[in-house]
Parts: sequence; C-alpha cells; structure tokens
Amino acid sequence: MRDLAQKWTAMPDWHEAVIAVPGLTVRTRSGLEQYLVSGDLVAWSEVSGLADRGVGAFGTAEDDRYTVRLGRDRLLAVSTAPFDIATGWHEEGFGVTATSAGLHVFEIEGPAGAELISRATPVDPGAASASASLVFGGVGVIAYHHQGTLRLHVERGLATYLWTWLKTAARQPALSGQG
Amino acid sequence: MQLFPCPFCGPRPETEFHYNGEAGNIRPDGAQVSAECWAGYLYERSNPKGAAREIWVHATCQEFFVMERDTVTHQLAATQTPGFAEHAE
Repeated sequence: MRDLAQKWTAMPDWHEAVIAVPGLTVRTRSGLEQYLVSGDLVAWSEVSGLADRGVGAFGTAEDDRYTVRLGRDRLLAVSTAPFDIATGWHEEGFGVTATSAGLHVFEIEGPAGAELISRATPVDPGAASASASLVFGGVGVIAYHHQGTLRLHVERGLATYLWTWLKTAARQPALSGQG
Repeated sequence: MQLFPCPFCGPRPETEFHYNGEAGNIRPDGAQVSAECWAGYLYERSNPKGAAREIWVHATCQEFFVMERDTVTHQLAATQTPGFAEHAE
C-alpha cells in the first residue's frame, strides 16, 4: 500500500523549530489562550473589560490580555492566562468559542520583518486597516504587532505550509543579508 | 494587482475578495412563484458592458457589500455595505 503520509511535509517540532537569518528570527509562540467572540462586541466589552474594537492589521497590542479585530462583528481575544468568562452563548448578545487548539501562533522579530511583510502581502502595514485578518504568504492569517514582534495566527492545519513559506522567504537575498 | 476598498477594512488585494452575484437579483418568495420566475432568478443575468452593481464578499473579514465598477475599464466607483457609510473612490 502506498504511504500517502510521504506526500506531506513533516511537521516541525514547534518547541525547537526556529528560522534565524541576519535581521530575522521566527519561532512558535505557545501557551496563548485564544477565544473567538462573535455578535455584540460592545456587550462583550462591558462583560469582559477588554476592548470591543481591538487592533487591526499590523496594529500594536501591548498587554498580556488584548483583542484583535477580525470583522465587523467578530474579534479574537488573546491572553497568557485563561479568561474568566464562560464559552458559549451569552444573553447579552455575543458568543465565545475557545480556539486555542485551532490557531498556531508564530512570532517574527528583527528589522527584516518589514521586507518579509512586503513579500507576503500587498497590504500597506503603515495604513490603518480595521481587520487584522488578511492573506499572508498565500493563506489567511491574523497579523499584528505585539511588544516589538509580529504575531501571526494561522489555522493549525496550515502552520507547516506557512512555516515552509517563511523559510523559503528568509533564504531570499534581501532577507538573509546576502543582497 | 488591483486593490479593492472593503467598506470595513479599506484597500485590500483583489485576491482576498470573491464575487457573489449581481446586485438586485432578489430571490423569489412565496408558493406561487412560476418556473419562468425561478429561471430568471437562477439563470438570467444582465451582463452589462460598462457600469455594473455587484455583490462581493471580503473573504478575510466576511463583509458582504455592493461594489459599483466598470466591467470594461475595471475602474471602481464605490463600495458600500447596506446600513453603513459608503466608501467612495
């Protein structure tokens, strides 16, 4: 019987995997609690104490608990500690879904990050854009800055592809310091 | 690559958008709808040369909106989500 598993790139050991070239470092950020919030985001803000707008594309989040805007009625809440808010529907008019296991998070550091962004998307990182959800390297991600790093949340099933894309882009001369 | 102005996000690359149909093509309602009426809704398109009003969806933020554009020159006139401010070019 054919071994179809060979058709897929082996998933890296995310605890150890790192892309390091001059000016750019990429690694996995594990341990983040992530929740999708849909519905009345103002009501969500009143109940949770977190922002209803959240950061947009390439915006900057500063704290350990923050929100990232995905759509007109949807955001992603991120925290280093579990939220004290129940998942499921809330009578105030919003729903909360735990999605920590569904989204893989990469952190990108270094001055070559801007060059990497320009290769990944035509979206202007200097122009405000309400939603942090965009196509990056050919797949949908949630992209914003956090404490000096660029964070990318991507569906877990696409993480290996995006990792491969990032490795390939990092080898390009302008990014690897050979240009 | 052409940039489309999403009414919620602002300028985004065309690859983030999907065409969703002709604006104003309302689904027939009720039990007495004729076969001709259904056929018109399902199959007949005006296919204008020039100014057109179309429904598009921005796949990344899930915003459905009306886009006014020219089918010959691809020039955009405006995008608007019903109930929200218009995003004019």
